[in-house]
Amino acid sequence: MNDDQLNKLFTAARAEEQNTWRAELAFETRLLARLREQRQNIVPWFVWTWRLAPVFAAIVIALGVWNFTVPTDPLADLVGEASDEAALVAMLTGD
Amino acid sequence: MSAQYGEPTDERLIQSTLAGDDEAFAALVARHKRRIFGIASRFTRSDAELDDLCQEIFIKAYRYLGKFRGDAPFEHWLARVGVRTCYDHLRRTRHDRDAVALDNVELPSTDNIEPRRAREVLDFALAKLSPEERLVITLLELQERTVREIAELTGWSESNVKVRAFRARLHLKEVLEAHHER
Repeated sequence: MNDDQLNKLFTAARAEEQNTWRAELAFETRLLARLREQRQNIVPWFVWTWRLAPVFAAIVIALGVWNFTVPTDPLADLVGEASDEAALVAMLTGD
Repeated sequence: MSAQYGEPTDERLIQSTLAGDDEAFAALVARHKRRIFGIASRFTRSDAELDDLCQEIFIKAYRYLGKFRGDAPFEHWLARVGVRTCYDHLRRTRHDRDAVALDNVELPSTDNIEPRRAREVLDFALAKLSPEERLVITLLELQERTVREIAELTGWSESNVKVRAFRARLHLKEVLEAHHER
């Protein structure tokens, strides 16, 4: 196919009328309905804080339960509470 | 055009839309929909697809209306939104288009080909091109836009448009020849 044939094909295709009137009928009505629907589906950020409240509450409860049920390590407690470096060294060396 | 003595201007309708007046946006759509349907109809194959694509274009325009600065006519800005949305549509539906078939395998002579048949043949061949090639051929050859206009609509440089158009024509001819030889 040469350029001339291709150009003839384009010319013929351009001559075909574009009948868009059916799709254009009441287009604004459909468009506004879709816009309103999309607007309703947008959730403001502060609503999410309420929606996520049960999740945060569950996390807090789980942490609380874990804190009471997991056995504590006496060595870790000692290390955590030891403010006196000498006491810590004494415990570690067994003196 | 004055809002006081006739139809409200595009700028007035845009301001009202931004202030939350949906009816103003509906008036803006009614004024410009013909042009947008004209652009989009070259990239779709059914009324339903055309309706969806045009809705997508106007929803995008609505969303970005606040960014319209008014340094060019609104219809130019809207056409840019339209063409870029059509390009996204071509990329999204690329694989669907591989299934475009041509009923009659024999290609008629291009000397006296009927418009409808020419469109069918081109739809079939364009479906084999990349979205960029299809876009540039459609804008340049079917909508008869200039290279400068295409550059403005797509955001590509003018030299880029020319290179893509040249390659697209070559590719299109290959597809048509390959089909003709079968």
